[in-house]
Formats: sequence, structure tokens, C-alpha cells
Amino acid sequence: MESRRVTKTLEDQRMVERQVRGIYDYFYSIPPNSQSVILELQRDKHFDFLTRGLRKLGPLFSVLDANRPWLCYWILHSITLLGESVDAGLENDSIDFLTRCQDKDGGYAGGPGQMPHLATTYAAVNSLITLGSPKALSSINRCTSYSMFLLVPYLSFTPVNIDLMMYREKLHAFLLRMKDPSGGFRMHDGGELDVRACYTAISVASILNIVDDELIHGVGNFILSCQTYEGGIAGEPGAEAHGGYTFCGLAAMILINEVNRLDLPRLIDWVVFRQGVEGGFQGRTNKLVDGCYSFWQGAVAFLIQRLNLVVHEQLGLSNDLGTESDDSSESELSDEEEHLEGTSSHVQEICPPQEGQENASDTTKIADTGYEFINRPIAMQPLYDSMYLQQYVLLCSQVDGGFRDKPGKGRDHYHTCYCLSGLSIAQYSWTDEADSPPLPRDVFGLYSRNLVEQIHPLFNIELDRYYEARKYFSCL
Amino acid sequence: MHGRPRKAPTTEEQEAYAIKASKLRSLQSQFLQFHHNKIYTKEALDVSAKLLESNPEYYTAWNYRKLAVQHNLNLPDGDNNEEFIKSILDEELKLVENALKKNFKSYGAWHHRKWVLSKGHSSTDKELLLLAKFQKADSRNFHAWNYRRFVTTLKNIPDEKELEYTTDMIYDNFSNYSAWHNRSVLLSHLLKEKAKGYSPKDNVLTEEYEFVRHALFTDPDDQSGWFYHLWLLDQTVKLDTLLVSSWPPHGCNLSLSMDGSFGDCSFSPFTSLQSNTRTLPLILYFSEAVENICSSTVEVECENIVSNELVWTSLSGDGTGFAQAWLTYLNFPEEHAHSEKAYQVKVNLARSQGIFSSTGVHHGNSSHIEFTVSVPPYHSEHVDLKNEGKISWSEESFCTHDAQFLESDLVNPFHLERTKVDEKVVDYQWNITTINDEIAHCRELLSTMNCKIGKLTLARLLMAHDTLMSYTSTSHRNVSHHTEILQLYDDLKKMDPPHLHYYQDECSLVLLKQIISNQELLLKHCRKYRDPSSPRINNFCLRLNNLSLSRIGSMELLLWVQVLDLSSNQLKTLEGLEVMQLLSCLNVSHNKLCSFTALEPLRLLRSLKVLDISYNEIGAHSIDTRRYLCSSPLNHRSGDHWKPEESEMHGAEVADYWEAYAIFKDLNLIQLDVIGNAVSDEKIKLLLIKLLPSLKWLDGESCR
Repeated sequence: MESRRVTKTLEDQRMVERQVRGIYDYFYSIPPNSQSVILELQRDKHFDFLTRGLRKLGPLFSVLDANRPWLCYWILHSITLLGESVDAGLENDSIDFLTRCQDKDGGYAGGPGQMPHLATTYAAVNSLITLGSPKALSSINRCTSYSMFLLVPYLSFTPVNIDLMMYREKLHAFLLRMKDPSGGFRMHDGGELDVRACYTAISVASILNIVDDELIHGVGNFILSCQTYEGGIAGEPGAEAHGGYTFCGLAAMILINEVNRLDLPRLIDWVVFRQGVEGGFQGRTNKLVDGCYSFWQGAVAFLIQRLNLVVHEQLGLSNDLGTESDDSSESELSDEEEHLEGTSSHVQEICPPQEGQENASDTTKIADTGYEFINRPIAMQPLYDSMYLQQYVLLCSQVDGGFRDKPGKGRDHYHTCYCLSGLSIAQYSWTDEADSPPLPRDVFGLYSRNLVEQIHPLFNIELDRYYEARKYFSCL
Repeated sequence: MHGRPRKAPTTEEQEAYAIKASKLRSLQSQFLQFHHNKIYTKEALDVSAKLLESNPEYYTAWNYRKLAVQHNLNLPDGDNNEEFIKSILDEELKLVENALKKNFKSYGAWHHRKWVLSKGHSSTDKELLLLAKFQKADSRNFHAWNYRRFVTTLKNIPDEKELEYTTDMIYDNFSNYSAWHNRSVLLSHLLKEKAKGYSPKDNVLTEEYEFVRHALFTDPDDQSGWFYHLWLLDQTVKLDTLLVSSWPPHGCNLSLSMDGSFGDCSFSPFTSLQSNTRTLPLILYFSEAVENICSSTVEVECENIVSNELVWTSLSGDGTGFAQAWLTYLNFPEEHAHSEKAYQVKVNLARSQGIFSSTGVHHGNSSHIEFTVSVPPYHSEHVDLKNEGKISWSEESFCTHDAQFLESDLVNPFHLERTKVDEKVVDYQWNITTINDEIAHCRELLSTMNCKIGKLTLARLLMAHDTLMSYTSTSHRNVSHHTEILQLYDDLKKMDPPHLHYYQDECSLVLLKQIISNQELLLKHCRKYRDPSSPRINNFCLRLNNLSLSRIGSMELLLWVQVLDLSSNQLKTLEGLEVMQLLSCLNVSHNKLCSFTALEPLRLLRSLKVLDISYNEIGAHSIDTRRYLCSSPLNHRSGDHWKPEESEMHGAEVADYWEAYAIFKDLNLIQLDVIGNAVSDEKIKLLLIKLLPSLKWLDGESCR
């Protein structure tokens, strides 16, 4: 060790740097017209690659047999980010397939007949929300139980909603079964206990509006025990801070409203130094850059931008002040929603936590965290170079149809999904308000060609689909 | 252009894949049949094994194997038959090994092995051997490292032994950050338990510094060693929480004035305070955010003051209960109306009495503060505060002060008695020596090469050194490295432009510390306000304008300031100002404040009368770009005081300027300047006049 020598790690690092520099040097050496051509997001080719994947996967994909809802999610989410959608046939097939993955006691498995698993449940639920149609949302547990006829006289819900209610009860029961006495979650019955499981469970519960105290009890403690001295979050206590787990841990902490228990200044220190000279992010200290961390690390930075001092609670209140009527009519959805907007943030933010409060009121505090969160104003600039990240994704990860980890690697659906999600994060990291498009100066390359759809950063679901789902599930 | 062209598979290859896939499919359907029918025969087990060997991710099959093991162990011929049990479990271990060869990132496979091991059947050596094999193939595989920590805990392998393993791994490849990380985990355990050979902590850390130095010197461009070095540095500078300063400071003679006239003119700007209510703020400032400052942890001795009636509030709005600065008010009675009366005040903080920092460290040393407060006789004629002229911040309004006012012991806020009653004297000799050594090594390294992270580390080391020195005796205090640190950050700004803002913020902190901790420099920044007829303000002003500050710090040294000029800097936030409880006049014009919410800290300044926020960028951006590395980015509590029913404003008006409303509703300003901001129009002016009934001057014009 005394002599000056270069380790394998550093050799690899230098090689990647050389390759990336080659690409960038070439890029900057050509005239601007050609530059924008190279930079262009190749929508058609990506769309082709993705839809082909949904129709028929090559035999090489058999290793993903236990992860088939993931494939659905990666592909459907990517297609949605490109502003496209699948045709009715593919949509039906996807819904049918996912339905067959659903376990009779709640939760989705990696494939028909397999055991339900938290990660594939997350993927399946996110896929169905991404498909977004009433059919997709109501597909979830299609048991035509006679009990719905008993309920119809008392409620004005459609049969679909009753299905969902029962489904959600089952899913809730499944989530509870996965809960470990330590507070964390196991990926499946008897499976591993880690931060991934916490996130997927909380994310699913949150978006389906079935979060309660029992589910979140102790989750914060478990995640807290995984934050390392570096500031990032590891998969399990004692392990090394890692981009994927840091996203999972941070997002879960936000969703359960306990994020201020994390050491955030340290977390920030950790994440800002994960963006490398290549423009992309690495997943852990001294590892190579990888396009998929454009999302995992980029989203961590994006989430932190919204954790701020701002008295955002007053936004909710000023809505209240502006609203004239206190009409509590139950018939119309839009009223219901407006009401929910005003009061939930009101209840949540104005009342400081009090001991001995009823469980019910505690639950309202976390019920709509995901919605409240994206409506918070941004408190700070992006914590990383958002243009440079876009440059890496477009020039180094993009191939003719699909995205890859880094130059020299092959494309796949996983990297396509998370490169596109990371691209979205980077493009929207300067926009102050949810729903508003970014300024042209914040989008690398030709605005009209390269702008992708916006996502909800806590769930990684396209924003409009998220709103639809929220509307759907909040009135059940 | 995009890397390699993709090679289309040949026809033969495609056929081979297809055959493989169809085999797998048939295995899957067979397996699911066995699984759903709970069949655990040899044949069924073989099918599941084949399936897992070709697809280790198939977690359902792993669970099936668990059920099968349980089932078979409960068979009648398995009773207490060691051999039989062993053969069953060995079979599982073998299967996991094969599966891991196929994919050693399989969660299911590693988890299955943990499950088998917790049944109690495997030899430690065998596990470690297997791990060594896998870790050689992929030394950063976190599954393997997690499994390693699991095995060593299960088999009670001593941490010392594991530490040796990390040493070997690091010798093999010092870029392996996973090994460094595990080292920090193991050492933390050993140090905490004071294991044999690992106490005192100092010696261990010294050896670690030497160890990591080899890696740093071998290749300074490699990140891993530096991040481990950061952990070591953290262990070296992490001290018990200390009381670092207070207002009033220890040993001062303070005059409290009812009317702003201080009798003779020999008053000091540091020790005179005007108060209409015979109250005096008492501020304690700690080295870290602490909680549980209350009458049972802080004892205040003074005649006429009942210590346990004092109410302490934290000077931070983040609602966590932790704050670096804490405030209470001392009330002096009016009984001695005819002559000046001096009160002795003693404040005692006992060691480790329930005061904890947010990182769980208790308050380490007993501290003792003592000062005198002179309360003048009561005058019947109160000065009417409303009859005052406006304050001008122009250069001509100030003149240099007379040096006599500066009392050295007050500029030096660390003048604090730390009584070491029963404890051994805490010195930081080892810490300082260690930091000094590291500084020397770092300099040596940088003399031969230009290395970004080396420079950053040196800057951090020098800062840590100066901070440690400030905690020790007064004699060494003049040694400081501010100029060198500033130079380092200037270099870094050029070398690493993506992190420019980070370095700029660090620079600002160093610059402020440089000015404030040096008496001569500080004097250069002190001015006297020319108009002595204005009794409202203490006419002594600290001018920190035109310094390119992007952030403010060293607040513990500024508790005495009543008039502060921070104009023409780069400030995006005023965070930190909330502790300056004596502040009555503040100028932050010509900065980069982006929104009213950036003024949030001012809400806690109840004595603030004059505020200049003109020529900022309030309302100019849709995004509030305040700095991000604040000590507590999560302040959700600030809206607690919002009571719309008390508001006399119209909802719509407030809704448009709710940020302004939230900030100004609690302030009692007499003079305010908002001109030169995107937001400053007639509408907001009207709102401000309504919101601030005491306001006399708005943008230089009388508004009543």
C-alpha cells in the first residue's frame, strides 16, 4: 500500500470518465444544430422498445419471472412519461395479467400462483394507477361478491367502489401481516426486513388511502436506525448508505410525517457529493456512475427542496379564507375534494401534536401527506446540477430505444424507467408549483422534443394519474 | 454514437434461449402444483431446486423450501436424529450456494441462508470461507456485507477479528469503501464498549489516522479513504455539549436604563440596555442544539428573582424542542425608586443534569456565569418613543467610535467560567495534537499535488482546530487560520465550480468568524451613529456591509449587538439572527432575499424597531432560493400562532400576502423600508401600515 498504485476501482472510474469525456468532447465540438439532434429524446424509438417489451419479452427475461409486475410498471410508467399511452388491447392484457397476480388474501405476487410480495404489490398498484382507466382502478380484486347487493341500498357508491373497499381491506390486512414487531416490514411472508419493504408498504397504503396508526407504528424508528454517519440511509441497520434505500427511507419518512427525525443536513451533505464529474449520480461512495440513480438520488434532492421552513400551512388556510361557502354536499366529487384540500392541511398543520389524542384524528394527519407535500412551495434551489444530470441521461444513458446504466452497458426496462423518471425530476426541479411546466431554460435540449411528463416524487407516478387516483380513492 | 452497436443473437442462440425458457416455464408450473398441494417429496424438492438454480429471484420457491424443511424435520424418523437434520439443512445451504453463483444479488437466496443458519446448523468457518469467495468476486456487494454482519453476530465472532478482516480487504483494495464503512461500524462498537485494547479512544483513533493516511497518500484522488477520514475527524471533534456564550456575559457590569439616557456618557455599548419594563433578557448559547433548558436545569440566583418561576423559551422555530440559544427574562422590581440599585446575578448549569443535545450528548461541564445589573432610579417622565426621527443608514450618519468603549472581556464571549468541581480537568490536548498532526500531513500532501478533496479536508481541519482552541484557555486564542482557510475555499471555487455555492457559504462563515473574533478587526467594523439626540437606539452600530456574505454565522459572538448593518451582501436567508434578542435596528438592504419567508427569523426579535429590507429580490422569483444547509430545514411549527379569527384583515388581502402577514404581524416596527423589491407596490404598503400600528416611517415617508 505504500507504493503509489492505482486500484481496480479507480481504473474503472477513470475508464468511465474517459468514455464520458469522449462523448462530451464530441458533443461540444459539433455545431449547435447537430448538437440538438444528438440531444433529442428519441421518443418513437423508446416507445417502440417499450411496447415491444409489453407485448412479448425475449426468453432472456425469464429471470424476471418473479418480478413481472415490475416489468409492467417500468414499461407503463416510461410510456406515460413520454406522454404516450398503450392501446386498449395492451391495457386489457396488462390489467388481466395483474389481476391474476393478485392473491386472494390481499397483495400482488411476482406472477400468477406465487406468493404476494410487497415490492410487486407496489409495482402492480403503481401500474394500475398509471393505466388510470376506471377499468384498471376497479380491476383490483374483481370478486363479485353478493354483499355488494346488500350494501347498495345504503350507499350511493357504484359496485366498483365496493369492490375496491373490500380489496383495500384485504390489502390492508396483507400489509399488516408483513409488519414486523420491530416496526419495519418484511418483503413477504418470512421474507427479508428492510427499508425497501417499509417504503413500498407505506407508499401503497398512502396512495390507496388506507394508512393508519397501526401500519406506521415503529416504521420511523426502523428507518432512523438505518441512517449512517455519512448521512445517507442503508437497507438495514449497520449497512452502508445507498441511493435506492435513501430514497425509500426519506420518502417513507415524509409520508408518515416523521421526516424531521432524520439528520437532514447530513443527508444533504451526502447526496450532493454523489453527483460525479460525469453529471450522473453514483449510488454509494466510490462506486461508478449509473443512470438509474438519476431518479433515486435526484428524487432525494428533489424531496429535500420541499422540506423547508416555509409556513406552507398558511397556504391551506388562505384557501379556506378564500372559500366562501362551507357547502358539505356529498353528491359532487369536486366539492368533496375542495373540502378535503382545505381541511386536511388545516387539521394537519395548525394543531400541534397533542398527547392522548384520538387515533382517528392522528390518522387524518397522515392521510393526505402525499398531496399536501407536492403543494408545498420549493424552499431552495436544486441541490445538484440539474442541467448536467440531463446531459448525462440524454448523451450517455440514451440508446436507440431505451436507456442504460452507462456507456458500454446494455439497455433494459429498469434503466429506461429510472432514467426517464430522473430526467423528469431534473426538468421540473426549478418549477415552483405542482402542475406548472418548467421554463425552457431548465430543459436541456429542444424544449418541445425533450420535455417529459411530471411525476409525483414520493410515489414515482405521473402526476395527472396520481391526481386521478387520489380522487378515486379519497372518496371511498 | 451511443456506445456499442447491439449484436443481434444468432439463430442458434435464439433457439437455445427459447428451449431454456420453455424448460423454465414447465419447471414453474410443476413447482406451483407441488407448492399449492403441499407436496414435499424428493421429486418435488428437486423441481424447486432446479427452478431456484436457474432463477434465484423466485422467492415463492424459497418459501416453499422453508415449508419443506419444517415438514421434513417433523417427520417421525427425523426425531433427534442429528445426521438427518444436518443432511436436510446442508441440502439447503448447498442450494443457496448454487443459486448465489447464478446471481449473488438475490435477496431471496441470502435471506434463505440466514434462515437456515438461525436453525443452528453450519460451521462458522465454512460460512466465512464462502463469504470470502463471494466478497473476492464482488467486494462491494452489500448483500454479502450484510450477511457477514449477520453471521458474525450469530456466531459471536469478536469485532476485533472482523476489524482484521476489513484491514485485509483494505490492503487488498483500499478503494473498497464498503470495508472502510464496516470498519467505522465495528470501531464504533468497540469504542463504545471500551473493549480491551480499544481504550482509551485516543490511542485507537491515532492508529486509525495513521492507517488511513497510507491510503490517502497512495492515491489522493480516491474517495474512500477521505470519507473514512471524515468519520475519524468527527470522532475527534465531537465533544460534550458546552455553554459557549451568554448575554449578559460573565463578569460584566450592566446598566439598565429606563429612558435611554445612561447618566454619564461613559456607558459601554456592550453593557448598556434600555428597557421600559425593568426586564432584562438572559440568553444562553450552546455549542449544539439542546433541549430541556428550564428552571430545574438552570439555576438563577439573584435577590428578588425566584429561579423556578423563570420561563425559558428556545430561540428556534422548528418545534423540535432543540435550540442552540435559549432565552428568559429577568424582572427587576420597582421598589428602590430613589437610588440606583445593583443586583448580583448568578447562573449555574450543573453538569449532565438533564440537558441533552439533539445528538444525545449531555451537557458536559458545569458552567457558571456571574454579572451585575445596575437598575437606575425610577424617573417619572418617560420618553415618548413615538416622537423620534427616522434613522438614516447612509455612510454620513456614522462616524468611527472612540476606542475606549470596547471592553475586551466583552468582545471575548468565551469569557465564561467553567467550574470543574468534582471532575477531572477536561482538556483537549489529544484532540488538538491530533488535528495539528493531520493538518501537517494534509499540507505535506498538498505540497506535492493539487487535490480537491484534500483541500476541503484541510479547510475543515483548520476550522476544527480553531474551534477546539477557542474552547481552551484564553492564551492561545490568537492563533487562527482564517486567511489560509479563505484561500483554500477560493481555490476550491475555481477547481470545483459545481459546488460553488457550498464553498461560498463556508467562506462567509470563516470571514465572519475572522472579523468577529479579532478585536482589532471588529473595531474597524464598529461605528457610532452621529445623531446623539436620538435616544431610542444605542448609537453603537456593527457594520458588516459589503462583505459578499452569503450566510451569517458566529452568532454566539454577536449576542450584544443592538444595531446591525448587513447591507450589500449576498444573503438569501437571515437564519441565525433570531438569537440577537437585543437587536433594535437592522439593515439588510441590497441583499438577495427572495421572499418574505426569508425574514422568518425576525419574528422572534421582539425589540426590533427599525428594519430596512429595501432592494432585495422579494417577489422577483417564483422560487425562494434560500440556502439549503441550514441547521434545521424543517420548521413546520411557525404557523401555530396563526389565529384567523383574531385577524381584522380581509381574507383576500391576507391571502395575497400571507407570507408578509405571517412575518410582520408580530413585529412592532417604527420604521420600515421595502422599496426596491418586486413586491413593493401600494397594495402591500397599505397592508403593512394596517399590520404595523406603531409604524411611523415607511420607505422614508411619514405614514401616520
